[in-house]
Amino acid sequence: MTDGVKNEPILRIRGLRKSFGPVEIIRGVDLDLQAGERRALIGPNGAGKSTLFHLISGNLRPSSGEIVLNGQHIEGWSPERVNRRGLGRSFQITNIFPKLTVFENVRIAVMQRYRLQYAFWRRIERMAAIREETERLLERVRLQHQAATLGGEMTYSAQRSLELAMTLASDPQVVLLDEPMAGMSSEETQYTAELIREVTAGRTLLLVEHDMDVVFSLGERISVLVYGQVIATGTPDEIRSHQGVREAYLGEEHAA
Amino acid sequence: MRMNLPLLVAGVALLAALPAVLPGGLLIASIQMLVAALFASAYGMLSGRAGMLSFGHAAYFGMGAFATVHAMNAFGGSGLLPTPLMPLVGAAAGLAIGVVAGWFATQRSGTTFAMITLAIAELLHALAPQLKGLFGGESGISTMRAPSLGLSFGSTTQVYYLTLVWVLLSIALLYFHTHTPAGRLTLALRENGHRLRFLGYNVHGLGVSAFAISAMFSGLAGGLQALSNEAANYAVFDAGVSATVVLNSYIGGVGSFLGPALGAALMTFFGYAVSDATQSWLLYQGVLFVLVMMFAPTGLSGLFGTGVRLVEQRGWRPAVFSALLVGGAAVLLTAGGVFAVELLQRLCSQDYRALAQAAAELPAVTLLGRPWSPTSVSTWMLPASLLACGTVLVFVARRRFGSAA
Repeated sequence: MTDGVKNEPILRIRGLRKSFGPVEIIRGVDLDLQAGERRALIGPNGAGKSTLFHLISGNLRPSSGEIVLNGQHIEGWSPERVNRRGLGRSFQITNIFPKLTVFENVRIAVMQRYRLQYAFWRRIERMAAIREETERLLERVRLQHQAATLGGEMTYSAQRSLELAMTLASDPQVVLLDEPMAGMSSEETQYTAELIREVTAGRTLLLVEHDMDVVFSLGERISVLVYGQVIATGTPDEIRSHQGVREAYLGEEHAA
Repeated sequence: MRMNLPLLVAGVALLAALPAVLPGGLLIASIQMLVAALFASAYGMLSGRAGMLSFGHAAYFGMGAFATVHAMNAFGGSGLLPTPLMPLVGAAAGLAIGVVAGWFATQRSGTTFAMITLAIAELLHALAPQLKGLFGGESGISTMRAPSLGLSFGSTTQVYYLTLVWVLLSIALLYFHTHTPAGRLTLALRENGHRLRFLGYNVHGLGVSAFAISAMFSGLAGGLQALSNEAANYAVFDAGVSATVVLNSYIGGVGSFLGPALGAALMTFFGYAVSDATQSWLLYQGVLFVLVMMFAPTGLSGLFGTGVRLVEQRGWRPAVFSALLVGGAAVLLTAGGVFAVELLQRLCSQDYRALAQAAAELPAVTLLGRPWSPTSVSTWMLPASLLACGTVLVFVARRRFGSAA
């Protein structure tokens, strides 16, 4: 399986490794993401999907290998640097500001691009551009009616929508979503899948998800991570019929 | 709590009118209350809003005090730094050391952060008596408020107004800070610093800036104290100073903006009012802190908020009734507790033991201008019955109003 690279990919990973003590979790990952594509990353539990996300987003420092985002080596960078370079991510476990309102949650995410973290002399309520952008984002994830609710008091799926809005607030070129549907009912899953498709249009998406229906419908291409290595990348059909993937991961009942 | 403009104007007017009605001793106490209120506001901004529990804020208060004393001695109220602007030197010193200390302390959070702040303050406390030039050794440094801009700054009234202006201005600035982007980010820092990093924020930078601002206003408060006392001594670095600002802020309630200031003003006033009457003030302060933390963890301002909610939900009559019930219980329990403590304190004192050894039977102790015999039942029945009545009232209040009371 090759990636069929023609243009320079927006995210290029080569020979990425990560060990925790004697245990090697990521064992030489190669991965290319073309600008604008929607890629799903699947793999059995413990394959290293979340670890890979942590390495890309700067939460963990790789043991070796390279990560190139938009032509820039970012391996070992801090999360805030990676984010400012154009990569936004969500988390497997909801990661918001629970005691702040929904509006405030998104506004804090929006503010970053305006470089206001040390603005001690301006009232935030006076900043129309920030307010408008926050409102626009809330509308996109359909939370405008809950703007005054505390983040921690919303339903689980609404919190996931909120996190999506926060992830998009920095206007990232590359979006990493770590199991955005985990713990959702099938209706919520469908709703969220549509929402993700809609709001990530024009961006590059890398998505970890266990729900195979979501993976096959949302992912234009799929990469399979098994024991810290990408064993296959291809279209949903190619992955369904890939013998190695069926053995390693999907199991006979899914393939049948 | 919303800012209520008429209430605000009335409060400021009241503070401005105080010198006309208060005797000199109380006016000096008022200056101390204002300084403590500013110090607690600065502390509350860090611990309540930014979520960083510092145990060493005496360091910044103390540096502000010493810097101001040195500046007063150097400039003598003339030139670029007239006497009224002296507290700015304290603010600058607090800011400078706050940036340095904050840079180290905010590398960590939680317990480690608290320990670093404690260590920095203890370091200064241990170092100060050794550095005679800088901190004047054990006796400290004294200074004089020089006349400046046509004012003598000799009277307590003038010092009071100077302190009042600086404290109100500083608290207004701290309030303004809550509405700036930087101020909103301190809330996010308290809530979830980890998420902030993945939104592109330099969390360490945010932490240092919050720490430095808090230290700056603490230094200003220290400067005001130095200006009022015309002296500074290494005791300003004492762990007790750091602890008092924590206790004051939490008794007032760090959850609301004015909570720490009100708590500090109240506790300073009580300290002043009862320090002559009792030797057990520190005990009462500690007991009060424990009780507030156990039964009203949001502090006195939180208690006030509960009262407002009670009025909104059930109307005036039940709210006033429950307030009377709880207030009555508090008065009875306090009276019983204080009586018992004061009695025991007198009975355990060295003077009394010397008297008891000389006498044939245990002599009576004097309390409230009356002799009380330690062997008579009625002496112990009084506090016991006060405590019992108070406890009954607490139970009645609990049954009537559930958790709201």
